Amino acid sequence: MTIAIAAHGRAGRPAGQRSSLRLLAHQVFYEQLSFWRNPQSAVFTFIFPVVFVVIMGALFGGSGKSSYFGGLSALQYYVPTIGALSVLGSCYGQLAVALAARRQAGILKRIRATPLPAWAYFAGLLAHCVLVSVVDIALIVTTGRLYGVPLPTHWLAIMLTLVLGAASFCALGVAVASVISNAEAAPAVAQLVLFPLLFISGTYLPIQSALLNRVAGWLPVRPFNEALTGPFARHTGADWRDLAVLAAWGAVGAVVAVRRFRWDPRPE
Amino acid sequence: MPNAVEVSGLRKSYGRVHAVRDVGFTVGYGEIVALLGPNGAGKTTTLEILEGFRTRDGGTAEVLGYDPGERSSARELRERTGLVLQDIAVEPYLTVRETIARAAGYYQAPRGVAEVIGLVGLTGLERRKVRSLSGGQKRRLDLALGLIGNPALLYLDEPTTGFDPAARRDAWHLVHELRAAGLTILLTTHDMEEAQALADRVVLLSGGVVVAAGEPAALGGRDADRARISFRLPAGCTPADLPVSSHPANGMVVVETDTPVQALHQLTGWAIRHDHALAGLTVERPSLEDVYLELTREGAPAEAPERTTR
Repeated sequence: MTIAIAAHGRAGRPAGQRSSLRLLAHQVFYEQLSFWRNPQSAVFTFIFPVVFVVIMGALFGGSGKSSYFGGLSALQYYVPTIGALSVLGSCYGQLAVALAARRQAGILKRIRATPLPAWAYFAGLLAHCVLVSVVDIALIVTTGRLYGVPLPTHWLAIMLTLVLGAASFCALGVAVASVISNAEAAPAVAQLVLFPLLFISGTYLPIQSALLNRVAGWLPVRPFNEALTGPFARHTGADWRDLAVLAAWGAVGAVVAVRRFRWDPRPE
Repeated sequence: MPNAVEVSGLRKSYGRVHAVRDVGFTVGYGEIVALLGPNGAGKTTTLEILEGFRTRDGGTAEVLGYDPGERSSARELRERTGLVLQDIAVEPYLTVRETIARAAGYYQAPRGVAEVIGLVGLTGLERRKVRSLSGGQKRRLDLALGLIGNPALLYLDEPTTGFDPAARRDAWHLVHELRAAGLTILLTTHDMEEAQALADRVVLLSGGVVVAAGEPAALGGRDADRARISFRLPAGCTPADLPVSSHPANGMVVVETDTPVQALHQLTGWAIRHDHALAGLTVERPSLEDVYLELTREGAPAEAPERTTR
């Protein structure tokens, strides 16, 4: 927090040479502040995944490894997939809804009228989402530990997957916020796309159909689940094929976002 | 010294709707200029072109020496302009101080946060959450965000819409103070009283064109216009009995004249001689409202559909 506080402290005085990094820290600090002050976002982002793991723990806590969960125990399976779900929620879900709401309220237009460069605004959002995701994953891993899930060993692969996943799902979230025009529709549209995808990607239940797994393997959610399950539960490193699919979806999201994003509540 | 804002022949269409057809005006440094007109006259579109939110279809525009449509200089221009939009746009969960400090961080040389809080009259509320502020206080916060970058030019889009009369007086007072501090202000309003109270010059828009421009007191030539003497016709009299020519209006008799002193002398002399009271006697120049209604009616031909700006 020291960087953020330094950024906070400099706000009042006439700035001299302003570095991009400080601007970014400034942005992240205030994104974090708004986020933590809003009880709704904090509760939904952090309580829901933990409760989910707790319920799964209550249901399957004692059971050992099974072929139904692909040779893992139930909780070994759910810790990474619910981890992935929480990243999806705090990146894709949050951004799609929050940006649509901010645009409708005129907050984006207001920011556009300041000298803050667009890249700094979006980089600030991304860094904010990565931070929230890290906290989320840490909570879920800790909860899983209470049910005897061993701690992961490949932290580097996890961080890499996490950052890439967060970036890709942020891009997709901004893309969705760009194509929907009113804030009331945003949560519905975001969930409508996400919910079936979560089911066929094995987030809630392992999928036993090879065909469905192959199809879902080309969509964004399953590769992310798999890329996290490897280093979390199977003690493997980064899964490059899954990461490549994820990155490709992120790139698609970024292109749509760059082309279609509007700051103004009213279309030109 | 060149002008802060120079606009000529500005055009902007949305599909087949011509929101702005031919708008030209200037704003001198240190001046308060009001774009006045009914909804859909093109005020907000004009302002948004100058703010860089919309591209123009034609004409020239220059703001503080920059072309507002030029992307490469957009950031430099934004360093030097502030704006307050029609809608209050502030995040609910930050405090007043945090909201202003965040915006301050976006500028090279912002004003002091505490100074701006004092300027807009939010002292004592620094630690209050934005969502617990009243509508008027949020509006002040909005204004603080427009001022924090220490702009040379401030845009106010319908700054007092929805204000109660006391809050409106306060806002007007604040605008005058800002001008006294050297700010140039371009505002839009559909309220004639506001234009009259605030503006050094008024640009009256209707149907996307400028129908009149000038000092509020002289707009549409109303300072040189005919005076209107009105009163109730005394019982038992007909208009033909009067010593001056007149016409009826709203149950009153109206005398329009270039020489009100003589006309009044004749009228009152006649009334005294015949022992008549001239009930409800008033003498007035056309009000800004009269000029406004007259000009905006003529200026908005039926075949030009207006795009409602909110």
